[in-house]
Amino acid sequence: MASFDFLDEVRRMNKRQLFYQVLNFGMIVSSALMIWKGLMVVTASESPIVVVLSGSMEPAFFRGDLLFLTNHQDDPIRVGEIVVFKIEGRDIPIVHRVLRLHEKENGDVKFLTKGDNNMVDDRGLYAPGQLWLERKDVVGRARGYVPYIGMVTILMNDYPKFKYLVLAGLGIFVLIHRE
Amino acid sequence: MSSEKAADNVFKWSDDGKPVKVDKWNGTTVKNALDDAVRMIMTKHFNYEENHKLMDQRLVICTISCLFAVTALIYDFLRPFPESRLVLLICVLSYFILMGVLTLYTTYVEKNHFLVVHQKDPAGVDPDKIWTVDSCMKRFDDMYTLCIMLEDKQNNISHEATLTKSVGSWFDEAGELVGENFLKDVCALHDGMLTEKKKK
Repeated sequence: MASFDFLDEVRRMNKRQLFYQVLNFGMIVSSALMIWKGLMVVTASESPIVVVLSGSMEPAFFRGDLLFLTNHQDDPIRVGEIVVFKIEGRDIPIVHRVLRLHEKENGDVKFLTKGDNNMVDDRGLYAPGQLWLERKDVVGRARGYVPYIGMVTILMNDYPKFKYLVLAGLGIFVLIHRE
Repeated sequence: MSSEKAADNVFKWSDDGKPVKVDKWNGTTVKNALDDAVRMIMTKHFNYEENHKLMDQRLVICTISCLFAVTALIYDFLRPFPESRLVLLICVLSYFILMGVLTLYTTYVEKNHFLVVHQKDPAGVDPDKIWTVDSCMKRFDDMYTLCIMLEDKQNNISHEATLTKSVGSWFDEAGELVGENFLKDVCALHDGMLTEKKKK
């Protein structure tokens, strides 16, 4: 019975009010989008917030931790820093520590990474024939973290139906609810 | 004139003629239902013409901000991050500036006005008399305040009249709007303002 009451509200709205409801939804989505893009501009990273997907960096980071990254080009990469990088041809970002680094005078670097909790360095993960990573592979460097929160993202990706259900529910709620 | 119309049960409170029924415990829906009823009374009963300028300006501000967001999305998709930095920066700043503008607009220009109607002069000579209607209802409170303001540019008069009453006097147990009671109260407020004008 409650759901039919909601539909009554919608039926009673005139064209302008309906358009405003749609705009309201659009503005909420736009605000989230603009905050994300704003973070991208401020941190200079294409993915300013990432979720740790594996346990290869324990006990520093656990699966499900949320990391905040920055990627300013004038900041040099140094051994011991935790970098998030993508291997060419693969989408998934990897969070590991820099083990060895070679730097030329003009600033070009080649570096090797290893997960704290792994037995071997990452050469097994790199593309066939690739022995070193370069600046362009780096998504960002970890500057801060929040534990556990990223588990929601992992759950939503493992169960896409749950994700669509939550998003659809939120969307319908915003479209129908009048302020 | 108002007493004849009050007995007229054919007066439609909603576009599809169905009775207006709301969740009586939800303050927001009750206020919205009353606001919509006032709109119906002013436009259909008194036959004034609704002026959409306030609402339209708000819609324009919101639409432009959404357009900035969509532009940022599409541009970043076509030219991935590092190149799109400048465009993204412009769009993000413009978006948040527009949000600020919107907040200022709703606070200082729109205030509590939810309806502006024009009373056209039958002879078509004099400028319109403008009725602005405000309403407010505090959270978890049952008192609904209706404030009607009349601006008559020709005679340089502006009037204001307020009505504060519990929503319980207009809604029945099931949450249905009892049209006649509400119509009576609004007409009393409206006619009271007209007679006050004539005295002056």
